[in-house]
This record gives sequence, C-alpha cells and structure tokens, in this order.
Amino acid sequence: MKAWFRSHTLAFTRSVGGLFRQPIGSLLNLLVIGITAAFPLALWLLVSSLAGISKNISVEPQLSVFMVPSADQAQVAALQQKLENDNRLKVVQFIAKDEALKKLQSSFGSADLLAGISENPLPDAFVLQAKDPNPQLLATLKQELATQAGVEEIQLDSEWAHRLARISELGQNLFEVVLVMLGAALVLITGNAIRMQILTRKDEIEVAKLIGATDAFIRRPFIHSAIVQGITGGLFAVGMVWGAIAHTNPAIEALAKSYGQQFALQTPDALTILIVCATIATLCLVGALIAVSRHLRQYR
Amino acid sequence: MIQFQQVSKSYPGGFDAIKNLSFEIPTGELVFLAGHSGAGKSTLLKLIAGIEKPSSGAVLLNGQNLARMSRGSLPFVRRHLGLIFQDHKILYDRSVFDNVRLPLDIIGFDYQEGRRRVLAALDKVGLAGKEKLNPVSLSGGEQQRLCIARAVVHRPSILLADEPTANLDRDYAHDILELFKSFHQVGVTLVISAHDESLMADYGRRILRLKHGQFTA
Repeated sequence: MKAWFRSHTLAFTRSVGGLFRQPIGSLLNLLVIGITAAFPLALWLLVSSLAGISKNISVEPQLSVFMVPSADQAQVAALQQKLENDNRLKVVQFIAKDEALKKLQSSFGSADLLAGISENPLPDAFVLQAKDPNPQLLATLKQELATQAGVEEIQLDSEWAHRLARISELGQNLFEVVLVMLGAALVLITGNAIRMQILTRKDEIEVAKLIGATDAFIRRPFIHSAIVQGITGGLFAVGMVWGAIAHTNPAIEALAKSYGQQFALQTPDALTILIVCATIATLCLVGALIAVSRHLRQYR
Repeated sequence: MIQFQQVSKSYPGGFDAIKNLSFEIPTGELVFLAGHSGAGKSTLLKLIAGIEKPSSGAVLLNGQNLARMSRGSLPFVRRHLGLIFQDHKILYDRSVFDNVRLPLDIIGFDYQEGRRRVLAALDKVGLAGKEKLNPVSLSGGEQQRLCIARAVVHRPSILLADEPTANLDRDYAHDILELFKSFHQVGVTLVISAHDESLMADYGRRILRLKHGQFTA
C-alpha cells in the first residue's frame, strides 16, 4: 500500500513536473483542449437557456387579430360584437390602438422614444383565446377571421412558442453532434500530446522496460498527466465560456428587454463545471491510454 | 541457473544470429562470452534477459521458460537480473543519483532505504560524491561504472554485461573486471561478453566462444 502510494506520488510529480518543464508547450496544449471543450459547453448553455424560456411560455394558444390602421370605429365595433357572440371563444380582449401605444411606451420606460412620431402607427387589435386549444379549430378561426372587413393580419401566438421549442430542439441536436465530434477531437488531441511526451521520454521508457518495469509503471505518469491536463483544460474552457458570456450578456439582455422580455445566458454552475472537467479528463485519459499502449506494444 | 535448449534466433530477412545452442550456466558461476562483433554475443544476452524471443528452442531462467511467460510476469523476472548495456542507456535528463535510483523506483522501494542503497552502490563502483552530477560530465569509464551501479543497486542474482570493457584502456578494464569478480564472490551469477579474449585469460574462468551464432572450441 505504501509502495503503491509512493509510486503514484512519484509518477505525479514526474508528470506535473514535465508539464512545468515545457511551460509554453503545455500552455498551448491546454488552450487547445480548452477551446475545443469551450465550444460544446457554450452551445449547451445556449440551448439550456433557450429551453428555459420556451418552458416558461404559456402553451395556451392566443390569436391576435390586427386591424388595418385605417379601420373605422364601426368596423371594429362590428367585429367585436361578432367575436363576443362566438361561443367557440373563451376570452375576447380588445386592445385599442391608444392603449397599445401607452403599453409600448411604458415598456420602453420613456415617452421620448415615440415623441417624434406624429401619428400612432399601431392598429387596433383583439386578443382571443379559444375554449378548446385544438390546432384545427384555431386554424379554422384564423381562416374565418381573415375574411372579415378591416382585418389586416392574424397571428397565432402559439406558433412562435412552438418555433422556439423547435429551435431549442434543433440546438439540442446540434449540441449532440458537436459533442461527439469534439469529444473525438479531444481524444485525438490528447492522444497526440501524450505521444509527443512519450517520444521525449522514449529512452527512459526503454530502459525502464528493460530493467523490469511493468506496463502499469510506464503508463502511470502519462495517465496522471492526461488527467491533470483534462481538468486544467476543462477549467480553461469554463473560464473562456464565462468570459464570453460576461462579454455578450449585456447586449443580449438589452435586446431581450427591447422585446419586453428578460433573458440572459446562464453561466455554468458548480455541477456543470464538475461534469465538464470530469468528461474532459475522461476523454484525455482515453487518448493517453491509446497512445501509451500503442507505444508499449513495441517492447517485450 | 541459466539453461539454453537448442535455441535458435533468426531476425527478419533470414539472418541467423544464434544457431541451435544448448548450454547451462549454474547459479553462482562467472562465465565469459567471447567472439567477434556479429558473432551473436549480444543476441545471446538479450535472449537470457527475455528482451528477444527465441525463434525455436527454450531459454530457461531458474527453470522457467521465458518464451512461455506472459507479458505481465516478465517484468518480475527481469527484476532478478542486472543488465549492463553495450550502449550504456544512461538517462541524461537526470542526475547520477536518479539514474541509479530507477530500478528501485520500479520495484517500489522505500525512499530512505533506497537512498542508502543508491549511495552504497555508487560507493562500490567508485563514484562516491558524484551523485549530484549530470552523467554528461562523467568520463567514459565513469559512465560504465554508473551502468554497473544501476545494474547492481537492486541486488540481482544474475548480472549480464554486454562488452563492459569496450573502449576502455587495459588498466581501467581490469578495474572493471575486478569489480565483477567481487560480485561473483558474493554469489552473483555473471555472464560477461567481450571481444578481447586476452583480458579473460587472467581470470581462468569458463569461456564460451561464439562464431556465426555457434560455439567453437
């Protein structure tokens, strides 16, 4: 047990010492690992942030009916009458154009923005909710309303929620593809880095094998080295993503706010960081094991 | 005890380095291996150490057939051997001390006990006080001694030396052989190869003469 511990500490000091002996090379290597890992991590955070919004949105579909701006009171009143009498609808809410403008002003927090506009550009609108959120009924309603006088456009509000869900699904798929590809890349990158380390210690390995070292003894420092590189590379990745998020979040928040939404990319939490480091360390370990066993095969 | 049973070794390309050799070296014997370069001396030593596998026949070390041994157990057999290589195989990225220490690290020796062993081995070969130097700063003869220290530090029962006196002047070569003799006196089995037979004559030991992979009288 004591000998086992000693041989591990020995291997550890050798391997970490080796990383420090070639600081520039090691740093470049860690950057490569970090950048490679940062990409799927960033994508993951983006996807999970998007999934967060699409989950929060009510799935109760709403129909927004926008009138032509030139529609007169009579047309609006007629439509309102008709809608209120329609027993397929649960909610009929009328938003007059003046009311819509006030709402918009308050969501921007300042009246100045619209001060330069002489005429209210917003149309009168109705927001409808059907009793039964069946998509076919909604489509029929949409078709019927489109033929009414003074109606300019009808939007099925659930559509964009669905679209967002689809986008985050696509993001999820993209993330999986990127994860597999860059995971393989990480194995190759560390495999290659360890192969270089092996080459610089070729003589030592040969002598050690000749005087009775087991394969495990030879493998040990490279395994330590791969795990240390994996964990450090993972921290590099987290750091890079963190920096990128800190850099882009103000702009994203401002953009979301302009749509009256609150949205920001999530920064990685402790569990994510742990998973990232463990995953990268495992991939690096696989790369190292492949490289070392390939090299060891030439000795008897 | 080293036994060769009709051992042949040919290399890819059809070169026969060793042809049908059978012999025995009992435990505790000092044997010289003579012959010109290319006669098969190095190959024979590599076969004893299990570095090369025989093409046919069997090499037995204390009754164990090396060729039948698994990859996992061969290292443990090698730990009973001390190897002195023709090309030294010194590691120049570490001190004299760390070079000699390597076999003990492989075995997993206790640090303090290992340190005493390394210093004792260096003292034995006449390199006391040079443990902190880089091997580059040692002379050719001193490097040879460093190899010997590394080969004996873990107290092997068999010592194999490939041309340990090559490139050394006669007096120095004698010093080295005297060193080997002292190991022999404590019961170590030694096989020493050399192309210069005149050195061996002074020791009156068994000499195996190789020519084109076979023994000559």
